Amino acid sequence: MTTNTRTIQKPKPNFETKSWMFMRYSAILLIPLVFGHLILQDVIVGVHRIDLDYVAIRWASIGWRIYDALLLAFAFAHGVNGIRQVLNDFIQSDRGRKIMHWGLFLLWLIVTAIGAIALIGGVRPIS
Amino acid sequence: MQIKLKVFRYLPHTGKKPHYDTYEMEVDPNDRVLDVLEQVRADSDPSLGYRRSCAHGVCGSDAMRINGRNMLACKVLVKDLNSTQITVEPILGLKVLRDLIVDMEPFFDHFRSVMPYFVNDDPIPEDGKERLQSPAQRDRFDDTTKCILCAACTTSCPSFWANGKYVGPAAIVNAHRFIFDSRDTAAAERLEVLNEDSGVWRCRTAFNCTEACPRDIEITKAIAEVKQVIYSGKIE
Repeated sequence: MTTNTRTIQKPKPNFETKSWMFMRYSAILLIPLVFGHLILQDVIVGVHRIDLDYVAIRWASIGWRIYDALLLAFAFAHGVNGIRQVLNDFIQSDRGRKIMHWGLFLLWLIVTAIGAIALIGGVRPIS
Repeated sequence: MQIKLKVFRYLPHTGKKPHYDTYEMEVDPNDRVLDVLEQVRADSDPSLGYRRSCAHGVCGSDAMRINGRNMLACKVLVKDLNSTQITVEPILGLKVLRDLIVDMEPFFDHFRSVMPYFVNDDPIPEDGKERLQSPAQRDRFDDTTKCILCAACTTSCPSFWANGKYVGPAAIVNAHRFIFDSRDTAAAERLEVLNEDSGVWRCRTAFNCTEACPRDIEITKAIAEVKQVIYSGKIE
């Protein structure tokens, strides 16, 4: 005997629903991105051999720039969303939450923008 | 065996601040913690306040923090605590009214918010008897029918400690019981409530609830299943 699958009118996805799903999807993406990064930088290359020349060689490839851009965007957004969820537990007024949400969004935007400038600008010798 | 029992005390009418009383006692290793508390009331201090009713793990009245973990005082034996020092405190996250008695109203408000009752306004079956259900359909929500509303799960949840607006595991378990009932027709309404800011998304899968449940309900799994239904709209 089996149970029957029923389909119901599901609730309209709100911000919390979407952010919960984002955490799951970004985590799946982070598994190859983070482990790939760790194995390459810490095991294959080694942290003591990472210098400006190495970064210049690495970023000569557009593929690595895209990889690093994805890593930055997803890892940081995943972390910021996590902080947002934790702070949501402790900040209970609507106004407080709004301020916190915008503050975290700006933090994400600024750090991502700095990273993006570095990634797009690449490594240039200091004149 | 000789034990040292430390009990949280708060008697608002005395004007005394909350504190702990310690009792050195001789008890049987097979005594339950509830028996130990009864012994204190009978022999040392009749003012000690706690809830109890059936004393057999069914009514859910005597959930309390025993050596830091939420348990039913009537279900845990002294010998199973593996310690001669026993600390008994009220469950966390709800206002203490007196000694081990907390205000359960916020907990029941959350419970009521998920419509924890059977809803089906369809005409009754033609034979005028039951709304039939297969054994498999009944099994689908069997686990969550076991809840006795003791609040051990909700008051062990760190999300609930931080934010009392969170409906909490017990309310979600009771919503699950009806959402997955093939005869019920109000799943969509319940899911609307659970999709709010204070609903299922506040669950961080800490698993404290599953560990605390004296009925061994797989609470975190039930919460995950409710999240899945909200996301997919499919009740499987």
